[in-house]
Amino acid sequence: MSNIISTVARRAGRRWVTVILVGAAVVLAGVAGTAYALVKSDAQSTTFPQNAQIEQQLGVRFSRVAVVGDGGLVTVTYVVLDSEKASRFQSDVAHPPSLYSESRHRTTTRVSLMKQGHTLRAGQTYYLVYENTHGALRHGERASIVEGTLRLEHVPVL
Amino acid sequence: MTNLWRKSRSRIAVLGVATLVAVGTAVMWPHAASAAVAEGLDCETNAQQTFSLTAGDGYVSTPDGNSIYMWSYGDSKTGFQLPGPTLCVTSGQPVTVILHNTLPEATSIVFPGQKGVKANGNPAQPQFDGGGSLSSLVQSAVAGTGSVTYTFTAGSPGTYLYESGTDVNKQVQMGMYGALVVRPAGHPNQVNDRADSAFTAGKEYVFLLSEVDPAVHLAVERNQPIDWTTYTARYFMINGRSMPDTLAPNHASWLPTQPYGALVHIKPYDANTNPLPATIRYLNAGSVNYPFHPHGSDERVINRDGHALAGPTGQDLSYQKYDLDVGPGQTVDTLMDWRDAEAWNPTTNPIPTQIPAITDQLLVGTDTWFSESGYLGTKNALPANITSNNECGEYYHIAHSHALEQSTNFGATFGGMMTVFRIDPPAGCTTQ
Repeated sequence: MSNIISTVARRAGRRWVTVILVGAAVVLAGVAGTAYALVKSDAQSTTFPQNAQIEQQLGVRFSRVAVVGDGGLVTVTYVVLDSEKASRFQSDVAHPPSLYSESRHRTTTRVSLMKQGHTLRAGQTYYLVYENTHGALRHGERASIVEGTLRLEHVPVL
Repeated sequence: MTNLWRKSRSRIAVLGVATLVAVGTAVMWPHAASAAVAEGLDCETNAQQTFSLTAGDGYVSTPDGNSIYMWSYGDSKTGFQLPGPTLCVTSGQPVTVILHNTLPEATSIVFPGQKGVKANGNPAQPQFDGGGSLSSLVQSAVAGTGSVTYTFTAGSPGTYLYESGTDVNKQVQMGMYGALVVRPAGHPNQVNDRADSAFTAGKEYVFLLSEVDPAVHLAVERNQPIDWTTYTARYFMINGRSMPDTLAPNHASWLPTQPYGALVHIKPYDANTNPLPATIRYLNAGSVNYPFHPHGSDERVINRDGHALAGPTGQDLSYQKYDLDVGPGQTVDTLMDWRDAEAWNPTTNPIPTQIPAITDQLLVGTDTWFSESGYLGTKNALPANITSNNECGEYYHIAHSHALEQSTNFGATFGGMMTVFRIDPPAGCTTQ
């Protein structure tokens, strides 16, 4: 009789252990998934940082960084705030901004400067196309745009 | 012992399944979103070949920061998009398109090239008002809440426009158009019934060309009369996008109402590993010719307006073309491949000239669109002042309307009806 009770008690105990382990696994995975989703959501946020110093010196406000060309190219768009400064920025072929991945220490500096007409009009959006050197930037991560000593951080890469 | 192991194994299995389910659920979420990086033709299709479209309004964005009020056909489940969904059907099979109208005026759909089209079961035919004036090319859906069901049997394999047949000038300019792809029965990877029209599965592209005069759109948005005497197109689009948005993937998050990209992405022809070409289906929903000009390679024109270029006894009348003139309302289907004709190799067959000396540079200056190395799959150092556009030794050929005003965004060059054709090394691009 005592053996039967003991066996039943052991089986019941094992069932509880199983239930607790399964429950813990589900909760753990759920927490991990939620955290991942939040991080991902944050990285994919379309909120774009601004930098008054960059806007003052370059005459532009960067507005989007996106991986295109099936991963091979990156477009960087900017809104012209000051036509004269922006024209200088656009025509400075030798010193384009560099793009840095903030999570993987990759960078791309090779840009094809798309000529957008002779005058850059204030309020209008223009763009640069970069080669995505060795997959420097990836969709969903954060990047920095660096121009000389100027730095715009935590830019979402679309 | 055996019993204990069986129970433990059972518990491990339960635990494993639970963990996989939970982790899988978490991991699947971002994977569903990653479908947005797809390139190439994004077909709307179903076994019944029945489509529900809603004529409605919305806004699209242009690369210069403008926002344009448009009308278009949207999938009734997902809403407004430009252009209308690309409908893919099989030749010889019945097709049903149900049009719902939420616009403030009557609208309709014509299917140029399709025979025996019916509207609500009656022959689709021109409509006249009480005074005898033409009011629509086919039966229309009344403003606001109307609907009409069009049925037909899909015609010869190829590409067709579908567009508004009501107040055509205005409504097509406003965006009432889409592409209809008719596939040959039993041969989904052929353009037409000819075996020599076969293309690589998945390497299929639609280039629906169009233009926008924002003044017309502003007038419609404000319910003001349109002054057609001053009509001037300012934006030129491929699949409802202008350069550089054409390079962005299908369903790019920053182009929520413009779901279709226009990047062509292929590998070089190889008799063993990549023997078939890609296909590009050009359609003109605009009012003037669009002379589309892919740099770097000819394309073989094999279909025009949904008909194979073949003689009475099946002679192959296809032809190579370097500049593809697509007339208003016309469609042109091409096969496109890229061949490493000279087989340059840095050691065994070096290029016998000073790099760079290519047209792309001369066209736009020394700082633009050079593909890094003359050798596909190789990255070389470049001369000073030359920038590149190259991830892993792949090539990018620009492709654009050769009426250069059509390659602008409201006058700003390097925009409009322009994209790139990307050619990867034979082994693929290993950096992705």
